[in-house]
Amino acid sequence: MYSRLLLIFALASGTALAQATSSPAEQESVQSLIDRIQQLEKRISELEDRQRKQDAVQTANLQTPTPGQESQDNATSAPAPHSEHAASSTAIREAEMHYPSLQIRGFADVDFSATNQKGSVSGFNLGQFVLHLASPLSKKVGYFGELSFTARPAGYDVQVERTIIRYDYNDYFKISFGKYHTPLGYWNTAFHHGAWLQTTISRPQMVQFGGTFIPVHFVGLQAEGNLPSGGLGLGYSVGLGNGRSSILSRAGDSGDINDNRAWVASVFARPTRFYGLQLGGSVYGDKLTPQPGNNFNELITAADVVWTKERPEFLSEFANVHHRDLRTSQIFNSQAFYIQLAYRLPWLENKWKPYYRFEYIHRPLNEPVWDVSGVSSVEDLVGSTVGVRYDITNYAAFKGEYRNQRTGVDEPRVNGAFFQTAFTF
Amino acid sequence: MTGNQKFASRALITGCLLLCLLQSAIAQNAGDVDVAVVVHPDTPVSNLTLAEVRKVFLGDRQYWSTNIPVVLLIRAPVARERNVVLKVIYQMSESQFKQYWIAKIFRAESATAPKVVYSNDMANELVTAIPGAIAFIDARDVRPGSKVVRVDGRLPKEPGYQLR
Repeated sequence: MYSRLLLIFALASGTALAQATSSPAEQESVQSLIDRIQQLEKRISELEDRQRKQDAVQTANLQTPTPGQESQDNATSAPAPHSEHAASSTAIREAEMHYPSLQIRGFADVDFSATNQKGSVSGFNLGQFVLHLASPLSKKVGYFGELSFTARPAGYDVQVERTIIRYDYNDYFKISFGKYHTPLGYWNTAFHHGAWLQTTISRPQMVQFGGTFIPVHFVGLQAEGNLPSGGLGLGYSVGLGNGRSSILSRAGDSGDINDNRAWVASVFARPTRFYGLQLGGSVYGDKLTPQPGNNFNELITAADVVWTKERPEFLSEFANVHHRDLRTSQIFNSQAFYIQLAYRLPWLENKWKPYYRFEYIHRPLNEPVWDVSGVSSVEDLVGSTVGVRYDITNYAAFKGEYRNQRTGVDEPRVNGAFFQTAFTF
Repeated sequence: MTGNQKFASRALITGCLLLCLLQSAIAQNAGDVDVAVVVHPDTPVSNLTLAEVRKVFLGDRQYWSTNIPVVLLIRAPVARERNVVLKVIYQMSESQFKQYWIAKIFRAESATAPKVVYSNDMANELVTAIPGAIAFIDARDVRPGSKVVRVDGRLPKEPGYQLR
């Protein structure tokens, strides 16, 4: 009622204004446009009628009952198809899932960095070019894959980052096989390759791709699902597979390094009363053989608390890596954590998101696993990152970061400026 | 200021006030419309808490029962039903919603994103045709005989109904 009044008011005033100001030539061109619109509308309705008739014929053909079916159909007294229903059956056919149904999404980023670290060179570099693949194979079976292309001086390094086939029995039990990002802590399973997915330019050092602090990848099988827990919103995942290879940053894609399987178990809670909150804990165990005859037991415990909404976004994670030398029974514990806080500003179309992250890594001075290759793969770290993300569109973002960090004992602090444009396509 | 000018300025002010009143009345009228949660007739639910509806639409609950997967239907952008879902259920902006589902699928947590429907008629058609389907439909457009789910024990138009 009110909207009609308003419409009439607007039309009347618009017409009056138009009549008062437009010349006869303009009126003529407006009239010709109106005529053209009417012609087009007529043409559309003709085409729609034709389409309805065709669909009705097709549906009638599809629904022609066989002699055996006829009595059953009469018993359910299904209405005869009419043109409106026939039109909607096209939409239903389109909406139904077809198998396999491959979806591909690409991620890429372009970066610029400049630091005052001795020997470093400022400049641009291409980030990872990543393809994510997802394809439901049936109502209960799905495939997921992730390929990365990383620029190297001599070309591109292609890696299969994840390849997973999963069978869903129900919400409480889903089993999968393949190569995963190890479900250890939060970041490693929340943000995969593709910098657009994460708020910041870089991952925290403790979960860095190519890093060794935690095993980023895991090859084997995994069971996961929800736990009946009411408002607590509990979920779990347990996995068994090949742990780290002799190169600690790599998973045993082509086979395990020893006869001992790695295992991982994690539990998380998403309480329904605090939508956005997630609490998690995880444990990972393996036997490492970084060099022949040099064996270590590894036990990693991790905990995380996150608030996934953007006002604010809060991510924090802690992990302790415990190594025991099986020859000497010496024990080594290394710890790492980060705290990240971000806030999506409510002004300027919600496009700006400033953030801050503090991260910390501590390792024993003589840790044989981290130093096995002769070069330290994990170093003490204290660092801060402050930056801002600007979402240019729903699918592309600019990020700018300033980092100040000290890596190693008694080393000077390094300052750096980093810029990135990250996007998905 | 002449008498005619005074009259014209008063008429202009009165007209503006009238327009403002009309607009607020329209906004209030539109805001009062409830959005019904409609499911396929064979879906074994008739009452969900708002938290459970959220869990379903976030893709955290993906099966009604072992053999009936959830099929999410959501209106295309700009529709009022979509705005209600984003505001009350997801508590996200349009871009956050898009980002959420891209991340969800490529974390391997869900095989598909919600299917987009372009009208309440289409939502009505699909929700009755696709087993496991769930949709949000303007309560005035729900077809007679459709299975409307109670949310926190309340149906649309009942006092305390939250999806509006």
